[in-house]
Amino acid sequence: MTLDLSLSTKQSLDLSPTRTRTLEVVDKSNRLKSTSLGGKMVAEYWDNIFTAKERGKHVVWYNGTALNPIFQAAGLEWCHGEAFSARLAAMHLEGPAQQAGEEYGYIAELCSYARTHLGCAVMTQKGITEKQSGIVGMVDQDQLASKLPSPDFFVNAYAGCSTGQQWDAMTYRVFGKDFPIFNVSLPMIWGNKKDSGYLRGTEWEKTPLYVEEQLKKLIEFIEYQTKKPFDWDALSENMSYIKRASELRLEAMALCAAAPTPATYWDWVASIAPINFLPANQLLVDYFQAVKDEIQQRIVNNISAVQNERYRVYFDGIMNWNKLGFLTRKFAEFDVAVVAGRYTHDSFWQEPQLIDLDRPLLGMAQHYLICPINHGLKIMEELLLKRCDEYAIDGIAFHSTRTCRAMTNPQHILARTAERDRGIKSFSFEGDVADAAFYKDESLESGLVAMLESIDQQRAKV
Amino acid sequence: MHELESVAFSVLETVAADPVGYAVEWKRRTGRPVVGSFPMNFPSEIVHATGALPVIVQESRTPITEGRSLLPEFYCSYTRSVADQAAVGELDVFDAFVLADHCVQLLGAADVIRWAKPEKPMHFAQFISSMDDPWSGAQVRDKVASLRVEVEEIVGVTVTPEALRASIRAFNVNRHLLRRFYELRKTGRLRVSARQLQVLVKSSMVMEITEHTELLESILSGLELPSEPPDSLVRLHLSGHFCAPPRPELLDLIEECGVLVVNDDLYHGTRYISTDVPEDGDPFDALATWYLDRNVSAPCGTRVQRNVDWDSYLVDSLDDSGADGVITLMAKFCEPLMLYYPELRKVLDARDIPVLLIETEHEGLAAESIRTRVETFVERIRRQKLKVPTLA
Ligand code: SF4
Ligand code: SF4
Repeated sequence: MTLDLSLSTKQSLDLSPTRTRTLEVVDKSNRLKSTSLGGKMVAEYWDNIFTAKERGKHVVWYNGTALNPIFQAAGLEWCHGEAFSARLAAMHLEGPAQQAGEEYGYIAELCSYARTHLGCAVMTQKGITEKQSGIVGMVDQDQLASKLPSPDFFVNAYAGCSTGQQWDAMTYRVFGKDFPIFNVSLPMIWGNKKDSGYLRGTEWEKTPLYVEEQLKKLIEFIEYQTKKPFDWDALSENMSYIKRASELRLEAMALCAAAPTPATYWDWVASIAPINFLPANQLLVDYFQAVKDEIQQRIVNNISAVQNERYRVYFDGIMNWNKLGFLTRKFAEFDVAVVAGRYTHDSFWQEPQLIDLDRPLLGMAQHYLICPINHGLKIMEELLLKRCDEYAIDGIAFHSTRTCRAMTNPQHILARTAERDRGIKSFSFEGDVADAAFYKDESLESGLVAMLESIDQQRAKV
Repeated sequence: MHELESVAFSVLETVAADPVGYAVEWKRRTGRPVVGSFPMNFPSEIVHATGALPVIVQESRTPITEGRSLLPEFYCSYTRSVADQAAVGELDVFDAFVLADHCVQLLGAADVIRWAKPEKPMHFAQFISSMDDPWSGAQVRDKVASLRVEVEEIVGVTVTPEALRASIRAFNVNRHLLRRFYELRKTGRLRVSARQLQVLVKSSMVMEITEHTELLESILSGLELPSEPPDSLVRLHLSGHFCAPPRPELLDLIEECGVLVVNDDLYHGTRYISTDVPEDGDPFDALATWYLDRNVSAPCGTRVQRNVDWDSYLVDSLDDSGADGVITLMAKFCEPLMLYYPELRKVLDARDIPVLLIETEHEGLAAESIRTRVETFVERIRRQKLKVPTLA
């Protein structure tokens, strides 16, 4: 037998996946225009932070839940650790901070938010000791990662994920324990009692009261640090803006139950920073009003967020910040509208009716406890099915977020629940919050294609 | 060279190798319930006081099969093993589960058990992990009270203060005896391997405590002391490894490289036996005090406390044991340890104390590469010890 080596060159070898794709991929996504305003607001917010020390402001570094309305009322400038790591990753500028973290000894398997932010802390600390200046980043002036102002104190309030609390305990040590730290302990809503469920049961009624007491103590701590009485009226006012912004955001999200959807999960991702840590003011309300208006207008004009929407998908997992634009285009390329997600739809002031302006701390405590990683599995199952029903979801994309154990831990079981209770198909792909090295395009594409095929088969049977 | 070998020790060795087997046998023998708990801070005394058997669920040596599709692969080996044991039915002997720790990975494993065994009660009394806040004490007392209610309901027995006091005494006696072995090892009077000490501690997490104490007493009374360790061995401290014991083969391998392990801060070691529960006053409050004290006597990377540091505790402990260096054993993906390690290293480096980091996994042991690294490390310490100080 002879081996005809020339044969293979003559044959056309079709390695493309079952679904036809063109080499020049057309962008079939149609992002909202109004969210670009949020981008500007966020950029201005950070620019403002970088000059906080020059302006003689007190700076608090905090992690976890949205304590910013309290800081704002106290006249502080606030730096949110995850937000800064996410920003660096979204701008592809996380490298220097992660390298500084690595040199300090943080292993790549550690939460990449924590690793990036601890790297920033190392760089900031270096800035302080080398230059004795309040403004850091003299070493690497051009690198955003090194521009964080040093903290006057830390506050930690991490729900659901133990890593969050330990991360701040380490930041505190990186700074030589020189700055005070205040911990707000947020117990998990475990949900094992007979009466337990989302926003119900004795566990739910009791736990926020404990957190509310700690928030009062936090305010005493801040008063001590700033040597100024706390402005309770300002807090209520801030919460009134948050409440209104949140209502508008939810109304706008509800409009996306329409098919085809006028906006996608990626638009809500772009709106996380505003609702999560920007100052509470009329601008914030205006932002969400603009988002809602645009969505309404799209419905009137029958404009879809994804050309030729054929599949409606739910996104479970924390955001892969390095890949926001890329993933937006990628899913749209397959006619997939990613309509909703755990990260966007079950977090960030998602129950505005809980905010009581006469007793703002209780509503805040309640929100901090309903962070989507702070529930036991039963409640997470309840929420997932609710969202799938609300948005007529066909499939679920699970972002297996390599270094975020909190978001990934229930995913295998959630996938089984969705299939068992609603017949909803899913797939899982690898990536990370702020470390591009963990993203695997093949894992996304092969999983997505397989899921879409099984949805097609399911539809064909009906 | 090791002086523990005895009938009593081989009983403990069997229990340590097959904790579930022991629990099954105990249940058959007594007809009483078995309650599983999880590392690293659950007060077993409260279960013991009901007459049930408290067992700290251990990592199983069996390969992970079903568990693979229930927890992500980047969870620590302990939690993946627990999920696997739940899925394949290895945890069926347990009548209920209780936990007090909040490590995100542990909670993930607990959720898998809840999902795989919905009929088994699983109570979580989340002990506050911020140890020095003004409300920490009251919060822990509250949680101990809720544990009491849950445990009473599970077992159907009221925990009286008297019964709890008796259990506290029993556990204190046991810890005291275990510490005695540690002290003898540190002084060099007892030649005992790290593997053997692990057997002693691990079996105490599983066995009925008075039964365990009797066996410890029998071993201690049979010891022939003193003996002196050879001078040529490098003295090391083993640090790290939370929740699950490092593989015995790894401990053997380290000692085969000319090392004498003189102390540790492993959970299956000093950390577990570091702290007694106060015997006076209200016994329920005493359990709360024990929890808070524990982080002072052996600071843990999973807790936060401003006035206590694992790194300085480690340095003090090295001064005490005369160890020449530290091997940090890190279970792959254990975030608390990954987060704390740079602080440990920073302090050790500043004092010129050699440190070697070894990552461990559920699936096997890269024996030869670890051996080479340990040998090089030991050699470095030897050279450092021989270095004659030069005149500045
Ligand atoms: S592991 Fe996830 S939830 Fe936890 S601190 Fe990191 S990003 Fe946050
Ligand atoms: S502390 Fe470490 S070993 Fe223990 S469950 Fe958490 S990650 Fe696993």
